[in-house]
Amino acid sequence: MTGLLSLSRAPVRFAIGLAAPVLLLLWWQWQATAHISTFAPPGAVGQAAAALIRDGTLLNDMLATLGRAFGGLFIGAPLGVATGVAMGIWRPLDRLLGPLLHGLRQVPMIGWLPLIGLWFGVGEGTELIVVSMSAFFPAMLNSHAGVAQVERRYEEVGRIYGFGTAQRIRFILLPAAMPLVLTGLTQSLAFAWIATIGTEILTGAGSGLGVTMQLAQTQQRLDIMLVTIAATALLGFVINHLFLRLRRRLLRWQPSSL
Amino acid sequence: MASRPLSTPAGAGRRFSPGVMLPPLALLALWQAACLTGLFPAQVLVPPSEVARSLAAMTASGELQAHIGDSLWRLLIGFAIGAVAGLAFGSLIALSRLAETALSPLFLTLWQVPVIAFVPMMVLFLGIDEPFKIAVVAIAAFFPVALATFDGIRGVPRAWFEVARVYRTRLPDLVRRILLPATVPAVLTGLRVALTRAWVVLIAAELLAADSGIGQMMEMGRQLFRIDVVLAGVVVSGLIGFLLDRGARAIERRATRWRTA
Repeated sequence: MTGLLSLSRAPVRFAIGLAAPVLLLLWWQWQATAHISTFAPPGAVGQAAAALIRDGTLLNDMLATLGRAFGGLFIGAPLGVATGVAMGIWRPLDRLLGPLLHGLRQVPMIGWLPLIGLWFGVGEGTELIVVSMSAFFPAMLNSHAGVAQVERRYEEVGRIYGFGTAQRIRFILLPAAMPLVLTGLTQSLAFAWIATIGTEILTGAGSGLGVTMQLAQTQQRLDIMLVTIAATALLGFVINHLFLRLRRRLLRWQPSSL
Repeated sequence: MASRPLSTPAGAGRRFSPGVMLPPLALLALWQAACLTGLFPAQVLVPPSEVARSLAAMTASGELQAHIGDSLWRLLIGFAIGAVAGLAFGSLIALSRLAETALSPLFLTLWQVPVIAFVPMMVLFLGIDEPFKIAVVAIAAFFPVALATFDGIRGVPRAWFEVARVYRTRLPDLVRRILLPATVPAVLTGLRVALTRAWVVLIAAELLAADSGIGQMMEMGRQLFRIDVVLAGVVVSGLIGFLLDRGARAIERRATRWRTA
């Protein structure tokens, strides 16, 4: 039991947590010296990172990818929320659009790439459309669910106050649906991010982290690839973290069960 | 309130009624009419009848079955590898504090990376043949399963283990009668999520580099300007994704029926 007890101390945990990455690094260094062609040694990755940062490529790629992801998010997510809310409020629209949208949703979003590429050419536009579509569906589904399951007593209070449709939406449906709408937006962000990286890798158009990754693959540059993967992970983590904080702020009126 | 699970989408909970089919049929008719009246030229959109004909032709030549078979085979092998590895890894870090301390930081860091971002690196190491596609599917399946297994095992109340100790339950019985029933629901959910993600990533991998499979069929269709083939691929990939999800959900419901019973 004493061995386990020491695990409760943070420095010990930290040291043990470092063991696996360090072993990985050693194995990698060993691989790199064995067959140099594909394995760039860890040191080379540091140099590649420094070079990419110095000549501005990395910053440029990060900004391009961020722009694409948020561009798609700002197109797809509001459309999704609007569609979802409208479908939740107005039944006939749900009947009309529901089957179509749920049908379209079944296709993996990346799977639309060839078709949209055929229509609009393989380029920036196609990438943005696929990213927007990826952002659209989670926002639509969650907003729809949020509006559709507003508690009846809220609606009844609204009826007693003689709310019109606009007031009903503004004061009852939207606040009540807000938590799920925000859940949808969080998912939209994640989906848009993944779709951005995916479309960049697959189309290779413009600049961006995915484009550089794909280029690094054709040029057999593992060092550049690892730098871009790390940048992708870091950016994704930061964006997600910021968004969760924003979400908590927006929902601070809720009982703190979150 | 926010953590409430997403309700089933419109129509999913209701009993099936013929009226539900009306809007999609109307849409198909509209699509057909729009193409026949020349609103969309054939280079842009082909009517559903053309897509159906193309599907029938590819089925008759056996081409479609070959593509579907190849894709599903990759999915099956990759998913099996990824799921087993995920189960083992998730159990390991859930049951051993030492393993958790040693491995979870690396695991959680890698988890931040979208699986699709590993695709170019996998090509670099494995080439563009079968091992690459299977590895990508396995990685996509590994993470959700590992995480769900970890959560499932850690979610078992401590008191249950204490009861087992009081009764001097032997390890095989402990696993079979306490650990398995308590963790199966979470693990099944993880497996379902993993399956649908693996399918998406496989399509992406096939779009990038493959000599067969549904993704490759679409990519070839695009390069040859065969809109009917691309649309057929869209329909087939959507249908397979839908059936995978539905099948997994059905298994999940059956396996967890005892909970509400």
